Amino acid sequence: MKRKLSSIFFITLLTIFMIIAALFTLSPILLAVMNSFKSNGEIYTNILSLPTKWSFDNYVTAFKNTNYLQSLFNTIWLVSLSLFGIVIVSSMAGYKLARTKTKLSKYIFGIFVISMLIPFHSIMIGLVKVSHDLHVQGHLWGLAIIYVGIGSPMAIFLYHGFTKNIPREIEEAALIDGCNQFTLFTKIVFPMLKPITATIVILNALWIWNDFLLPLLMITDKDKYTLLLSTKMLFGQYNSDWSKILAILILALLPVIIVYVFMQKYIVKGVSDGAIKS
Amino acid sequence: MRNSNKVLILFCLPAFLLYSIFVLYPALGGFWYSLTNWNGLNPTYDYVGLSNYLELLDDKVFITSLLFTAKYVLYMVVLQNVIALTLAIIIESLSKGKKVLRTIFFFPNMISMIVGGFIWMFIFTKVFPQLAEMFGIAILNESWIGNPEYSFYSILILSLWGSVGYLMIIYIAALQSIPGQLIEAAKIDGANKLQTIWHVVRPLIINSITIGIFVSLSTSFKVFDQVYSLTGGGPGRATQVVSMNIYMEAFAYQSRYGYASAKAIILFVTILLITGVQLFVMKRKEVEM
Amino acid sequence: MKKLFMVLLIAVMATTLSGCKNNDDDIREIELNVFMSFPRFQEQFEEYFELFSEKMLEEENIRVIINLEMPSSDTAQQLLQARLSSGDAPDIYTLHAIADIPSYYEAGYLLDLSDAEFVDSVYASVLESVTYDEKVLALPLESLAWGYLYNKDMFAEYGLTPPETLSEMEAVVATLNANGETAFELAFQESWIPQLMMALSLGGMINSEEPNFVENMNAGTGSYGDIDEVFGIIDLIMENGTDRPFETGGAAGSAAFANGEAAMWVQGPWMSGSILEVNPDMNIGLAPLPITNNADTTMINLSTSTSLGVSPSSENKDIAIKLVNFILDAEHSSALFEELKFNPLSSVHTYETFPWVDEAMSYVALGKAYLESALPNGVTDETAAMLQEYYAGTKTKQEVIDAIDAAWASAVALQN
Repeated sequence: MKRKLSSIFFITLLTIFMIIAALFTLSPILLAVMNSFKSNGEIYTNILSLPTKWSFDNYVTAFKNTNYLQSLFNTIWLVSLSLFGIVIVSSMAGYKLARTKTKLSKYIFGIFVISMLIPFHSIMIGLVKVSHDLHVQGHLWGLAIIYVGIGSPMAIFLYHGFTKNIPREIEEAALIDGCNQFTLFTKIVFPMLKPITATIVILNALWIWNDFLLPLLMITDKDKYTLLLSTKMLFGQYNSDWSKILAILILALLPVIIVYVFMQKYIVKGVSDGAIKS
Repeated sequence: MRNSNKVLILFCLPAFLLYSIFVLYPALGGFWYSLTNWNGLNPTYDYVGLSNYLELLDDKVFITSLLFTAKYVLYMVVLQNVIALTLAIIIESLSKGKKVLRTIFFFPNMISMIVGGFIWMFIFTKVFPQLAEMFGIAILNESWIGNPEYSFYSILILSLWGSVGYLMIIYIAALQSIPGQLIEAAKIDGANKLQTIWHVVRPLIINSITIGIFVSLSTSFKVFDQVYSLTGGGPGRATQVVSMNIYMEAFAYQSRYGYASAKAIILFVTILLITGVQLFVMKRKEVEM
Repeated sequence: MKKLFMVLLIAVMATTLSGCKNNDDDIREIELNVFMSFPRFQEQFEEYFELFSEKMLEEENIRVIINLEMPSSDTAQQLLQARLSSGDAPDIYTLHAIADIPSYYEAGYLLDLSDAEFVDSVYASVLESVTYDEKVLALPLESLAWGYLYNKDMFAEYGLTPPETLSEMEAVVATLNANGETAFELAFQESWIPQLMMALSLGGMINSEEPNFVENMNAGTGSYGDIDEVFGIIDLIMENGTDRPFETGGAAGSAAFANGEAAMWVQGPWMSGSILEVNPDMNIGLAPLPITNNADTTMINLSTSTSLGVSPSSENKDIAIKLVNFILDAEHSSALFEELKFNPLSSVHTYETFPWVDEAMSYVALGKAYLESALPNGVTDETAAMLQEYYAGTKTKQEVIDAIDAAWASAVALQN
C-alpha cells in the first residue's frame, strides 16, 4: 500500500513536469499567435494577455505582401516535383544496389553514402555555377532537379536497407514466370517498398519545405519565391513592427500546422521508421 | 561485363547522373578551388598549392569560429540526447497522454529554423524583458541576442527546441522494441525503476544512443539557419559558427572563394573524422556488451 | 494519398500551361533581370519600371518584362557576388559607387556607359564618383552629403546648437543627460550602422590631420593606432546611447529616433524616409560629427553610394541601357527621386531640396566637407564586425585596431 502511494505521487509529479515541458514547447508559437492579432502598441503594454480586440489587419497586410497564395503554390509545386523525382530515381537505384552483390555495386553505394556527410557549404558555389551553365537556375523545376540530386543519397540508403529485409523468393518466381526487369520493378517490387517510400516522402518533404539557402541562391524571380523566401524578404522590411512580422511568420507556419494536425500519426511514424532503419 | 552489372548501371543511372552533376562535381570543384586564389569575383585565378591551408593555421577568426562551433556541438550532443532520452522514458512510463505529448514535443521539428529563429527572437527581445518587469526576474532582462555570453544559450535553446523531438522519437521507438517480459522479469527480481533502466534498458537501447549521438554530431557541426536567423553571427563575429564563417568568407569580406573552399574542406574532414571515430568506438562498445 | 497527389499534380500542370499565352502580332518580348538592394522601395521601383515597359511597348513595340529582385540589405551583396561569380549576372544591378566600382570593373562585370544619354545631364561632381579608368561605369542613384542626424526640436528645447569640437559635444551630451534625455540612438543589429561612426571619423581625420594615412596603410607602415583619437567620439556615443542596441535594426532605430527616444543618431539622410513615415512632423537636422578638439576635423562626407551598373554579359544591352537612361528621364525622374528622398543629382531634377540637404550644403559652402575615398575591399566589413564586438565588450580597443590593420594588410597583399 505504501509503495503504491509513493508511486502515485511519483506519477503525478512526472505528469506535472511533462505538462510544463509541453507548455514550454508550445509557448513560443502560442505567444506569437496571440500577439499577431494585436496592434503594435498593445504588444508593449501586456505581451502575455489575449488581445483586447482581435484584429485581422496584420494578416490582411501579410497576405497581400507575401503574395501568399502564389508562394504557397510555388512551394507545393516544388516539393511535389522533388519528391516525385527522388522516389523514382532512388527506389530504382536503392533496390538494385541491394540486390546486386558485385564490387561495382559496393563502390557505387559507397560513393552515394559518403556524400551524406558533405556540408552544403562545401558545394554551394560550384552548385550555383553548374546550375547556371545548365540553365536550370531560376526555375522551380530546375530547383526540384537539384533537390533530387542532393536528396537521392539518403533515399537510396533507406531503400537499400529496406530491400535487404525483403525475401527474394517473390522476385525469383516472377522472373521465372518471364517478367522482365522493368515490369518486375514497377509491378512487384515498387509496391512492396511502399512503407519506406512513405518515410522518404515525409522526411524529404520536411527538408525541402523548410530549406532556405538553396532557394535563396537559385530563385531570382519574385513570382517564383517559396513561402520561406517571401517571409524572409519581408522580415527585413518590417523589423520594428512585431505584430505585423508575427502575422507573416504565422502565415508561413500555417500550412505546416494544418498538415501536422491531420497527418501527425503518419509523420511521427515516418520519422521514427527512417531513424531506426538508418 | 557481367549482365547483373549492366542492369545495375541502368537502374542507378538517373540517380547517379543527377547526383554527380549537383553534388559530386561541385564538391570536387570545391576541392580544386581550395588550391587556387580565386576571389569569387575575378574570372581568372591561379593555382596556389596548399597555401590556403597553411594560411588557415593562423587565421584567428576561423579558429575562433571552429572552437565556438565545437563548444556548441559539445553542448548539443549532451543536452539533445539527455533531454530526448529523458522525455522518451517519461512518456513511455506514463499510462495516459503518450500520443499527445509525443505530438507536442515533435512539433517544433516541423518548423523551419529561419521562421523558428524569428519567433524566438520575438521571445528573447520582447517577451523576456516584459516578463522580467512583471515578475522581477533579473536574468530575463539581459540582452539575450546582443550579449555574446547569453546569446550562446539563446542559440542553444532555439536549437534544442527545434531538434529534441526528433531524437525523442528515435528513443521512443527503441524503448518500444524492448520486450515487456524483460522488464517484468527485472521487477520480479526486485529491481527498482532506476536499476531497471540502467541494467535492462540501457544495454538494449545502446544502439539507438549511437544513432542519436551520430545525428547530433553530424547536424550540429553544420549548424547555420539557427545562428543566421537569431544573431546573424554577431555581435561582430562573437557567435559565428564555421558554416557561417565559410559563407561570409565566400560572399562578404574579401570574397575569397578559394580560401573559403579550403575552410569547407576542413569542415568536411572534421565531420568525417569525428563521426567516424564516434561510430567506431561506440560500435565496439556495443559488441562488448 | 496517391490519388490526392495525382490530382494536385494535374491541377498544377494545368495552371502552368494556361499561363503561356501566344502573342500573334509581331511584338518582341524580352526579359530583363534587375537586382536592387532597396527592399524598402520595392513598390516605387515596380511602378517606375511599369512606366518604362509602357513606353517601350508604345515606342518600339517591345514587351519588356522586368524581373525585379530586391533582397534585404544584409544578404544583397552576398547574393550578388554569388550570381556574378557563377556567371549568372543580372542585366542591371545596384552597387556602391566608391567601394565596388573599381573591383567590379577590374573583374569585367561593368559595361562602359560613357556614351549613354544620362551622362550629359548628371552633375559633374557626381559623375566623377562613378567614373573610373576614364569611363562612366554606372548611373548614380544616391548622392549624399551626410554626417549625423539630430532632433532639431529637442536641440531647440534645451538651447543647443550642433557642436564643433569633441568637448562641445561632451557638453551637449551633459545637457541632454541632465534633462533626462538620451543623447544617441544606437541601432547596432545590422553591422553597417555602427560602422558609420568609423566612416565619418576616419574621413574627418584623413582629410585634415592625417593626410598620409591611406598611403602609409598601403605601404604597411601605418596603423589605425595612428588615428586612435577617433575612439574619443566613438566611446562617447557608445556610453551615452539607447539600451539594447543589438536588438534594434535600421527600421526600429528610425522609429525610435522619430519618436524622440534619442537626440542624435549617427546615420545618413537615406533614413529620412522611414523616419518621416513614423513621425511626419519631425524636424530632422544634419550636422558634421566632431572628432577631436580641432574643429577642422569636423566635416560633412560627400559621396555617391548606390549606383546602377549594366552587365557586359547581358543579352539585351540596348534595352538595359535604355532602362538605365529612363531612371533620369526628364518627365518622370523628379517625382521618383523626390518620393525616395534622394538628393537631386542631374539637371532633370527640378524638385525642391529637403531642409537637411540645405543644412548639409551650408557646411559644404564653408569648405567643411570632403569627398569620400575608397578603402580596400573587406576593410569596411571588418570594421563593422569589430565595432559591434567593441560595444559588446568581446574586443578591446587594441584588438579592434589590430584586426582592422590585419584586414587592410591582407587586402593589399591580395591586390598585388
